[in-house]
Amino acid sequence: MDFKFTEEQELIRKNVREFCVKNVEPIAAEIDENSRHPAELFEKLSAGGWMGIPIPQEYGGAGADFLTSIIVVEELSRSCSSTGFTVSTHAGIMCMMILLFGTEEQKKIYLTPMAEGKRLGAFCLTEPGAGTDVMAVTTAAVLDGNDYVINGTKTFTSNGPTAGTYIVFAWTDKSAGRKGMSTFIVPREAPGLRVGEHFKKMGLRSSQTSEIIFKDCRVPKNNLLGKEGAGLPMAMTGFDGGRVGIAAQCIGILQAALDESVRYSKERVQFGSPIARNQAIAWMIADMATDLSAARFLTYHAAWLKDQKLPFSKEAAMAKLYASEAAMRHTIKAVQIHGGYGYCKGAKVERLMRDAKITEIYEGTSEAQRMVISGIVLR
Amino acid sequence: MPSIIACFKWVVDEAYIRRSPSGDLDFSAVDYKIGEYDRNAIEEAVRLKETLGVKTIAITVGLPEATKGVKDALSRGTDEAYFIADSSFGNLESSQTAFILAEVIRTRIEQYDIIICGEGSSDLYAQQVGPRLAEKLGIPCISFVQKFSIGKDQLVAERRVEEGIEVITAPLPALVTVLPDINVPSIPGVKDTLMAGKKPIVKITKDELPPIGQPLLRTVSITASRMERSCERFGTDAPEITRFVGSLRKKGVVG
Repeated sequence: MDFKFTEEQELIRKNVREFCVKNVEPIAAEIDENSRHPAELFEKLSAGGWMGIPIPQEYGGAGADFLTSIIVVEELSRSCSSTGFTVSTHAGIMCMMILLFGTEEQKKIYLTPMAEGKRLGAFCLTEPGAGTDVMAVTTAAVLDGNDYVINGTKTFTSNGPTAGTYIVFAWTDKSAGRKGMSTFIVPREAPGLRVGEHFKKMGLRSSQTSEIIFKDCRVPKNNLLGKEGAGLPMAMTGFDGGRVGIAAQCIGILQAALDESVRYSKERVQFGSPIARNQAIAWMIADMATDLSAARFLTYHAAWLKDQKLPFSKEAAMAKLYASEAAMRHTIKAVQIHGGYGYCKGAKVERLMRDAKITEIYEGTSEAQRMVISGIVLR
Repeated sequence: MPSIIACFKWVVDEAYIRRSPSGDLDFSAVDYKIGEYDRNAIEEAVRLKETLGVKTIAITVGLPEATKGVKDALSRGTDEAYFIADSSFGNLESSQTAFILAEVIRTRIEQYDIIICGEGSSDLYAQQVGPRLAEKLGIPCISFVQKFSIGKDQLVAERRVEEGIEVITAPLPALVTVLPDINVPSIPGVKDTLMAGKKPIVKITKDELPPIGQPLLRTVSITASRMERSCERFGTDAPEITRFVGSLRKKGVVG
């Protein structure tokens, strides 16, 4: 087994780190405090070619393998998990879905501007009444002449307010059950699309989340992505890659928590010596480092499988499950290590702990991941 | 076609050097990087390439493991690289490095307009390779350059010296050693890094070179700097200030 990264991957990791220190770290606390989408940062990310890393160069991306994109997400998340998350889902799910299932024309019109970072993507599946239970979706699309007309409300849409291109899931034939949902590419300018309520969140506050309302929203029938009825299998394919992206986000959060905890415990003196000398603290850090390493290898392995074009649904679910639960567990410990200071605004660990919680929920809750894993293992 | 050569060194990244409890330096977990001022040199070469349409060549002397450094240099926009490597090149002196560079530039590259070096390397900062290289090639050398431009067959450079700024012109070909004020190096994108390995790299071994001279210096030791603190505390009232001044006098800090 070769556990080494390529020289290119090592250089890319260093370059992202440098980018983060210069451009992300200085604004991470502010954009969280103000729930602000940093358009100026995303312009720099776009200019540097960081928005479409796993997309082929002919469609405006960097043409890297998926593992390389995971490294970038990890390093971005280490500085700001909102930024890492946005880059991850934009490239890893929205761009990837058009790459995998789109026609050449759809790729030219929609994928290239997204891979270049000129337009952000958003994934519209979840609804007020349909979370883990995707079959409870009610949004429907009806063919009317040369257009599909979409009606329904999507919720918890990340990048909802800021996206230019929406990937929307709607029933075209409810009677066909799991084979009755279809996927549509809906541009922001489509008549009948409205951004609804913005959500104020506990964490990941710089990532914009909202409802998207479709009222007689018309799109040309050429905007059907893939075949009619193929929506759910496409979504599941999208989730597999997306889950590895969330796992990468979690290992970034974990690394940041470990960095902060190591630094603080060496500096903080109580009873005449640094608290790092206390076994209780040292053991918390040992557990943090061990779980980080385990989460890392689960994540990198899942990414490697995808690059080898081998099945990776189980590994993706395992990586997401383990890394997210580890991130939550250890960011709580990181606050504990920091004591009162860790509880105050201004401490990085305070933000890390708030950011970690959502990773156990979105892109499939931990419960849903356990359903996926047990479903495969118990076959 | 005119070309610009940028010299760089693959050095230990000092951020990874640790100090052992005994005070010795621990290099066991070090990573490497292109020296800071060398990055400025490469960046300047690439900027000139974009404005003048010239070819840029990155050149380095080092250990065979420094392939990552060569890719790094190419990812920053240079068109090709010359990589002179040998397992005995880990601790070359400036005189030896300059000799090797001069030999390769004279015999393999031949046609060039400008050579850009960093003012000094990030590890030893001897500031000698640039001037020595220029001397061996018989071309003008301008050091401490914070800005320069190319005219017809000459370059005009601003040198930052203690008394102010000196403006120097020199006929081409010429060599400059640059300060970090000259530019802010761009961060290579993912695409740039991936394409780097596909650019031409000319590899040269020690056997292909004439005998390199013996080192002129012997490094006795490299240790961590120590800061001795006497841990005396002084208050801010008049008697305490008197005591403070007396302490400085005793140490010879003030007359």
